[in-house]
Amino acid sequence: MADQLLDKVRDAVEGQIDFEGQRLAELITTVLLGASGIIAFLVGFMAQDIYLTLYISLGGTALTFLAVVPPWPVYKKNPIPWLSPHTAVSGFNINVDGKKVG
Amino acid sequence: MHSTVVRVQNVFGFFTTVAFCVAAVIALSVIVNPQSPSASVQLRNVQVVRGRPHYYSYKKEEYAHIKFNLDTDLSTLFNWNTKQVFLYLKAIYPSSKPNTPPSEAIIWDAILPASSAPNHQNYYIHPNPKKSQTKKPSKNKNAKSKAKRDESPYPRGELHLQNQRPKYQITDITGRLQNRTDVVLELGWNVQPWVGALVWANKVDFGVWEGLKGGVSERFKFPEIKTKKEGDLGTEKGGEKNRGKPA
Repeated sequence: MADQLLDKVRDAVEGQIDFEGQRLAELITTVLLGASGIIAFLVGFMAQDIYLTLYISLGGTALTFLAVVPPWPVYKKNPIPWLSPHTAVSGFNINVDGKKVG
Repeated sequence: MHSTVVRVQNVFGFFTTVAFCVAAVIALSVIVNPQSPSASVQLRNVQVVRGRPHYYSYKKEEYAHIKFNLDTDLSTLFNWNTKQVFLYLKAIYPSSKPNTPPSEAIIWDAILPASSAPNHQNYYIHPNPKKSQTKKPSKNKNAKSKAKRDESPYPRGELHLQNQRPKYQITDITGRLQNRTDVVLELGWNVQPWVGALVWANKVDFGVWEGLKGGVSERFKFPEIKTKKEGDLGTEKGGEKNRGKPA
């Protein structure tokens, strides 16, 4: 019971996502941060107000953190079907260099 | 990007890159902003008196007390990236030894804030000829500072000072100033941006930035020492706190 609880806590803190999710997260980081920087400069320059630039770029960064850092379900759509340890022990013949493993 | 910590590091790392690039573009963007500063400086009155550098000093030195008229239009120096402009008036006179560069000494200065700068006690308050000098102390501190900010009768960067007293009396390293010739007053400034390079006053055009027009007085002479002090030799004291002291 305690072990299960600890596992859940560790999973939540680590927040692992799958490989496709990692590709997506990388893309979203680049696009959101880059766009917020460009928009911040353009809007600030048009309005001739440097505070606007500061606030827009900080807001864009906060949004990026919110979108990318938590392990949202979008990033977990393609889980890898790992072999379970149980099946490995019970029945498969796995040969490594002629030796029987598992 | 597989775990939370790695994603935090990645996002923050790219954020610093973006912030640096945006700052660099802002710093470069000001060169498309046209500048056409102009100024005129006139000498009103100059006296040389003998005095001591401080109360316990045995040494007597000669001090020049220079009054001047100053009219400037520096409003084009304030672009979106300007935080404040440090404006100063130098007295420049040839050195007493040959082959040494002329001496320069600041007799007056002011910090002109941009509208985006938060209020500060050391910002210059333009004297208002229309209002009387006596002010009622206001209880509301915010309202007071706001009112002070809006007190200048002229738009930002425009100064019209008549018979202005200096903030600093000047002396020479030799301690002798009387009968020096070829003295000029010259206006200088330092534009301090939010991000980017500090820019000093210059006389040459650079792209859409025109050089300073005027800003130098005619040549004059430091007179002989007056044995009897004449007129008002006080230095300027005004609304800003720490006036004449390091901020």
